[in-house]
Amino acid sequence: MIVSTLSRPNRKFKDTDYFSVKTETYFLMPFRFHRLNSQREVVVNEVGDHLVYPTGTVARIIGREIDKQLDSELYADLIAGMFISESPIPALIDVLATRYRTKKSFLDDFTNLHIFVITLRCEHTCHYCQVSRVTTDKDAFDMSKKHIDRGIDLMMESPNPFVTMEFQGGEALLAFDNIKYAVERTKRLAVSYNKKVTYVICTNLAVITMEILEYCKENGILLSTSLDGPGFIHNQNRRRPGNNSYELTVAGIEMANNVIEKDSISALMTATNLSLAHPIEIVEEYRARGFDSIFLRPISPYGFALSNERKNKYAMDDFLSFYKTALQHIIAYNLKGEFFREQYATIILKKILTPFPVGYVDLNSPAGAITNVILFNYDGNVYATDESRMLAESGDYTFRLGHLDSSSYEEIFYGERAMEIAEVMTNESLPGCSECAFQSYCGSDPVHNHATQGDIWGYRPTSTFCRKNMEIIRYLIELMDGSEEITKVFESWIR
Amino acid sequence: MTPLHNHINGNSIIIYLDRSIYSSNVILKCLYWYGDKFHTDFRSLDSTYYCVTLSVLAAETEQTDLEAYQLKFERDIIDYSLRDTVTKETANIRDLLIAKAFSNGEYDEEPAGEVSDPVGFDVHAINPYQN
Repeated sequence: MIVSTLSRPNRKFKDTDYFSVKTETYFLMPFRFHRLNSQREVVVNEVGDHLVYPTGTVARIIGREIDKQLDSELYADLIAGMFISESPIPALIDVLATRYRTKKSFLDDFTNLHIFVITLRCEHTCHYCQVSRVTTDKDAFDMSKKHIDRGIDLMMESPNPFVTMEFQGGEALLAFDNIKYAVERTKRLAVSYNKKVTYVICTNLAVITMEILEYCKENGILLSTSLDGPGFIHNQNRRRPGNNSYELTVAGIEMANNVIEKDSISALMTATNLSLAHPIEIVEEYRARGFDSIFLRPISPYGFALSNERKNKYAMDDFLSFYKTALQHIIAYNLKGEFFREQYATIILKKILTPFPVGYVDLNSPAGAITNVILFNYDGNVYATDESRMLAESGDYTFRLGHLDSSSYEEIFYGERAMEIAEVMTNESLPGCSECAFQSYCGSDPVHNHATQGDIWGYRPTSTFCRKNMEIIRYLIELMDGSEEITKVFESWIR
Repeated sequence: MTPLHNHINGNSIIIYLDRSIYSSNVILKCLYWYGDKFHTDFRSLDSTYYCVTLSVLAAETEQTDLEAYQLKFERDIIDYSLRDTVTKETANIRDLLIAKAFSNGEYDEEPAGEVSDPVGFDVHAINPYQN
């Protein structure tokens, strides 16, 4: 029998007036703001939702000048985004709290990335390299089996059911036997510890062989290589006997593409002074090699990189000009229908446009050091991050957390040094960051602060970390505000 | 008393700020961002005004640049005052939000209002998990 819903006494749909709170004014919810340019300003709430309005709107919001009837659309957007509330505590505060918890859920499982510096030996002499040594002395610069074992044991102690084991160098493949040893031991232990392990080898591909590629294929090992651009840039940056690093890398990429899955090899570029004049050529090189993305990175201000100042030191604003030119070039391809993305922008866009955290260790709060990444050096020392060991190579042991011979898991991950670093790991409590609109898109990097400014707290007005991230975030939001087509392109990058 | 006007004196920008409008906290947060380009001096002028002096660190700074920085400071101090209002007004709700986020549900509350039954039957009667 069909009964009219209208006759049901317990029908619960209410008229919209029922839900409308009769209120004289509204209450502010936590949000931060920033001027995008002279005409527009962005407001960002505690969970990273953002709205862009004409300049002056924020002052009106805070001055209780937004009228529910006259500014109905703006008012509704602010209520829906919980920038304002009609009651002191909004009915949906638990939803907002859940979203906040989700944004910080990268903390739930603790350390994922375990870097093993399997050897410091390398056959390259890149002028921006922070650490490597050209030597055949395996005893002095290779990780011992005892230290590999202990590193694996500590990795198995991580509360995280998913761990990444990354082999770095030097040139990691010069110690391929040790990599095989480490992978085989980890495979056995992962079963009993119920861990899913992702393996990554960072390599310049100069010494790659079919045997190595077959082993990588068999074990699902990912390869991460360096490609700085076309030959005239790459070979200038990455010197080796024969001056043929580019040719070897390109041949290695092609060989790898024929053996392992296409997605199993990725490349990173590092921008030197020479690179800054060639953003278009660098993007084109990545397209020509069959990649559908590029990660545009400035040089790391660590270790040996600083000793070659003429080639490596440039103002952050020069890098930002380079970055924007390359990004515009990439966007133009996307607007013509070709999918190609810039990875740093993609990381930030995921933070801006999705409710989820991004497991990128350089852009987290609390910082990725220790909570997301740990490094076991070739000599058994344990460091908070990859950059920390680079500092150590120039004699600065600030971020050494212990030693594989003598330190327990607790001493390394929860010890006194880790606690000192933890004090400056949240940008929510850092000077200059605490009221910054881009706080939830950015992060804290005490190692960078210490390396560049001699102080783990850092000083934001002269910080290159702050300058880079503030400008890239501002630029990305400005681009989306100015063009629906670009917004659609960016949305395609984060799917 | 003659009103005080912000002005440029040589290589310095002189700003007067009404103490009844701007707190020292707001002024310090704003001044923080000028430390890379200016030597900053902040003091009480009298019971009505604070005085801020921004002296350029780079000697070759143009007069027009100083005028632009003066305008920027005058705009920034208003922005920091607005930020201070939001921070103070929302301090409690922010604490509550973060406490709830990391509390594992111990501060969760039943949503306000009646349990909705738009389909029109008594859900409790058919809910096998309902005691």
